[in-house]
Amino acid sequence: MGLKDDLDRYREVGEERRQDLADFIQYGDLGQSRPDEVKIPIKIVDLPEFAYDQRDMGGVGQGEDAEEGQPVGQPQPEPGDGDEDGEPGEEGGEHEYYEMDPEEFAQELDEELGLDLEPKGKQVIEEKEGDFTDITRTGPTSTLDFESLFKKGLKRKLAMDFDRNYLREALKVDGMGPASVFEWARGENIPVAKAWLEDEYDALTSEEKTEWASMAEMDETVERQSTAERIRREGVDQIPYRREDERYRYPEIIEEREKNVVVVNIRDVSGSMREKKRELVERTFTPLDWYLTGKYDNAEFVYIAHDAEAWEVDRDEFFGIRSGGGTRISSAYELAAAVLEEEYPWHEWNRYVFAAGDSENSSNDTEERVIPMMEEIPANLHAYVETQPSGNAINATHAEEVERHFEGSDNVAVAYVSSPEDVVDAIYEILSTEEAEA
Amino acid sequence: MNSDRYEAKRIAEDLEEPVDEASNLAEKLGLHPYAVNYWIVDYDEMNELIAYGGFQQRYPHWRWGMQYDQQQKQSQFLGGKAFEIVNNDNPSHAFLQESNSMADQKAVITHVEAHADFFANNEWFGMFADDPDAAAMLARHSETIQEYMQDPDIERAAVEKWIDHVLCLEDNIDQHRPFAPVETDGRDELRDREEDFEDIEAKLDELDLSEEVVGQVFDEDWLEAQRDDDGEITFPDEPEKDVIGFLRQHGMAYDRDAEKAVAMTDWQREILEILRREAYYFAPQKMTKVMNEGWASYWESAMMSKEAFADSDEFVKYADHMAQVLGSPGFNPYKLGLELWQYVENTENRREIVERLLRVEDITWRNLHDRVDFEQVQDLIAPEEALTDVPSHLDDLDPEDPRVDADALDRARNGEFDVAKYPWKVLTYEGLAERHYSLVEPQNRGFVSRVGQEELERVSRYMFDDARYESVAEALADIDYTRGWDRMREIRESHNDVTFLDEFLTQEFVDENDYFTYEYTQSTGDYRVTSTDYEDVKKKLMLRFTNFGKPTIVVEDGNYNNRNELLLSHKYNGVMLDLGQAKDTLERVFELWGRPVNLKTIVKELDEHDIEVAKRRDREPEPEEQGKLVRYDGEEITTRDLDWEEVEHLAATDVDYDTKPDEWLA
Repeated sequence: MGLKDDLDRYREVGEERRQDLADFIQYGDLGQSRPDEVKIPIKIVDLPEFAYDQRDMGGVGQGEDAEEGQPVGQPQPEPGDGDEDGEPGEEGGEHEYYEMDPEEFAQELDEELGLDLEPKGKQVIEEKEGDFTDITRTGPTSTLDFESLFKKGLKRKLAMDFDRNYLREALKVDGMGPASVFEWARGENIPVAKAWLEDEYDALTSEEKTEWASMAEMDETVERQSTAERIRREGVDQIPYRREDERYRYPEIIEEREKNVVVVNIRDVSGSMREKKRELVERTFTPLDWYLTGKYDNAEFVYIAHDAEAWEVDRDEFFGIRSGGGTRISSAYELAAAVLEEEYPWHEWNRYVFAAGDSENSSNDTEERVIPMMEEIPANLHAYVETQPSGNAINATHAEEVERHFEGSDNVAVAYVSSPEDVVDAIYEILSTEEAEA
Repeated sequence: MNSDRYEAKRIAEDLEEPVDEASNLAEKLGLHPYAVNYWIVDYDEMNELIAYGGFQQRYPHWRWGMQYDQQQKQSQFLGGKAFEIVNNDNPSHAFLQESNSMADQKAVITHVEAHADFFANNEWFGMFADDPDAAAMLARHSETIQEYMQDPDIERAAVEKWIDHVLCLEDNIDQHRPFAPVETDGRDELRDREEDFEDIEAKLDELDLSEEVVGQVFDEDWLEAQRDDDGEITFPDEPEKDVIGFLRQHGMAYDRDAEKAVAMTDWQREILEILRREAYYFAPQKMTKVMNEGWASYWESAMMSKEAFADSDEFVKYADHMAQVLGSPGFNPYKLGLELWQYVENTENRREIVERLLRVEDITWRNLHDRVDFEQVQDLIAPEEALTDVPSHLDDLDPEDPRVDADALDRARNGEFDVAKYPWKVLTYEGLAERHYSLVEPQNRGFVSRVGQEELERVSRYMFDDARYESVAEALADIDYTRGWDRMREIRESHNDVTFLDEFLTQEFVDENDYFTYEYTQSTGDYRVTSTDYEDVKKKLMLRFTNFGKPTIVVEDGNYNNRNELLLSHKYNGVMLDLGQAKDTLERVFELWGRPVNLKTIVKELDEHDIEVAKRRDREPEPEEQGKLVRYDGEEITTRDLDWEEVEHLAATDVDYDTKPDEWLA
């Protein structure tokens, strides 16, 4: 037992073995994220206790210029103090959420969904030094490849070395002088210098100069040693390092491609897009935006709202807008195509075009205009998210038509969201479509 | 020694000096902390300690796992913060995370010294035991419960659930009474009677009477009557607030297979007692959170910034850390505590000044504001320069001066320590009090002049010797600089959060620190600011801190309806229960009582129509108060209305926590 065990037990709360506590679990949700942060829900298990009714209790706040009657932001009740008629989880206190940055979010989502979208680099932004795998002949001492210098030196030594003792003995053979030993050594492939032989010969006493009667006698008595044996016995006392053997490691040059992404979010804002549908769009788009922001170095967003006409808006407005008009989805794609062409050339930008709506469209618009445009606009991924809280409406066939046309395609995804529970599946559906291609 | 331990040892060596000096400084500032043992722990160990509430070993339970998970996510996603963990024990144990910056370590150390002082000196901590020996106690508890869980005859899940049941009542103890273990000698009354009853049944069986006789004479009613042969027994005599203790003594477990109450097993009884003991051990900390955290923050800041305990490069980090702790949005008990302590210090110091001023000839409470030049007062009360800048005045200090520590002065002059680093060593408590005098700080410069007529009158009322000084200068030369600190130490000895707030929260404080109250209003369906009046703010704070911020529930009858049912009562103070949670809790109480359980309460009812009308007229509807009895018999929850007479005794008439302005009401 111990903390690890406690942690396992906590994870089991509400699961099979501790079903009895299932009612006391609250989860936060992913909505309402500000542009620069996302909130990660965590599981809180609150045992019941005798507590005050949160609403009836009121509270104390701190802040300048408070005036009677002024509304205060939702007070932050302790977790578990949610009252009966409030929706659990909606009034959650601060501590039920943890804010994380997009990169972490993308990682979490990858883990959660088993995705691994590899972002593609487009524009070369800088040349960067990679690993030190290249070799040059000059360089700072710190990058000197000593191992290769040593090996070369050793080779050189082996090549130049000879059995000094043996040659000395050869000089002692009667009748042999430096010149004749040198001749003989050449024949034996012993790399000796004539000067060395001369010096050695001068150092011998006259008695020594005639120690051996013949080469044959000497050879029989004196054992000749190979260089390898000698090194093994005596060690390498000196390695001849040469400047020309020096090699310096050098970093590989890598072209760093910046991973640019532009995400076009398109939303139907026509009269039929009521509160619920709008909310579902936000719930789906926000994590997608987040995911891509986390995956790429540089993410930009284009928000396009449309009814029968399309116009570009800011993110702040995007999820809230509502207009009265009819619906013509192609208007949004026309605008998207123009914006992408102008500002986000395909050779520099990864493009994602996500559209959402309730699948209602003016007649023939899908087949005659939207589908051809989706084919024409180059993008990593096109997606259409149908948000229909009440299931399918009769005339709402845009999603189906698109799905039918692009069946099996690796860059068009269609997802259906009818309640918040579907969001995760939809995200998976969309993101895994592109992954399949990668 | 592996490299980790080596690292920890190196850090420990670096921290030795700050630890010693913090303790020395704390003593000089008048604190008397428990000795503190510091431990260097790594990140994982720190998270574990936090999860375990500051101890190394706790009984096995999923909630520690939950806290660990949260703690980890929090540091993973929000970035690690420097946590201070110190536990209430003698000696106290405090933990320092090895990856913290030096500035954080020092902040933690100074903070910890002040907590250790609070633990040692606040009377509420004596309620549990004078020498808690907490770590050992909690470890013992952990081992006992582990043994039960590993006992092959006991199902682990059953133990876990039993713990959950008890934890639902964690706050239902009598925290204002000293802790005493539940008397275990002798068999308890209820079980005795229950067993006697079983005896009768057995004897009847032995008599081998015919069905007919049994049916006619010894029928169920007769048996029931035997059970209650002493007539109606109502106990406890007085409503019992220690619900866990009561259940420990009289509760039974419910055997689902036999469909009846059975005596608790030894392990059940022991776990109840263990959890009750832990609830009592942790109660003082819950009851003094505002004071204790404020106290620690106050002294931490005195040591860290005023005594430059943080080196100048560390100071920026320290300031940042403080901003993080105190700057978190919304209502923050740490901040409230710190602000209140500072306010207490300022008012006490101001009172000293006012008392001196009122003793000046021709100055009375009526004319003080006209006669006194407060600019001049500020100049006169400023500490002597030799005290604020010790290193440059080392030669001017007089060893005979009571504000000077003659010994240390001698050592400083001989260069035995670095006086630039530790100037405070040269001063005594009196000297430091003057050096730290709160009223000369820039943010408090207007504080003396803000003294109200009412306060002046109150002070002067008890003053006899009122013409002692000829001039303001003469009067102020006599001020006792230690008065603020002396008073603060007295308060930290005897108060808890409730009494602290009750006594020291004033309109001046509420205005200065921008507190307000809010209520849920039916007409708008959201929370609205209702008042900035200190009485209202106080009410709401009292509600939040009285009885751990929980409603008071007492055992009213252990033999309710003469049927051995349990009757709990909610002492209604005008704020209703969260009824949904109360029902869930009641289901758990049943597990600890073994027989049906009841709860009397008062709820406020509003009908839809009233709310509609209120919305239209923008007036708050007046809710109807209605007595309710909630009952759980092991199968289902039932709720029925009670006549007002049956709950009247539960309703407190002398309190009103509602802060809505009268004119809002319909």
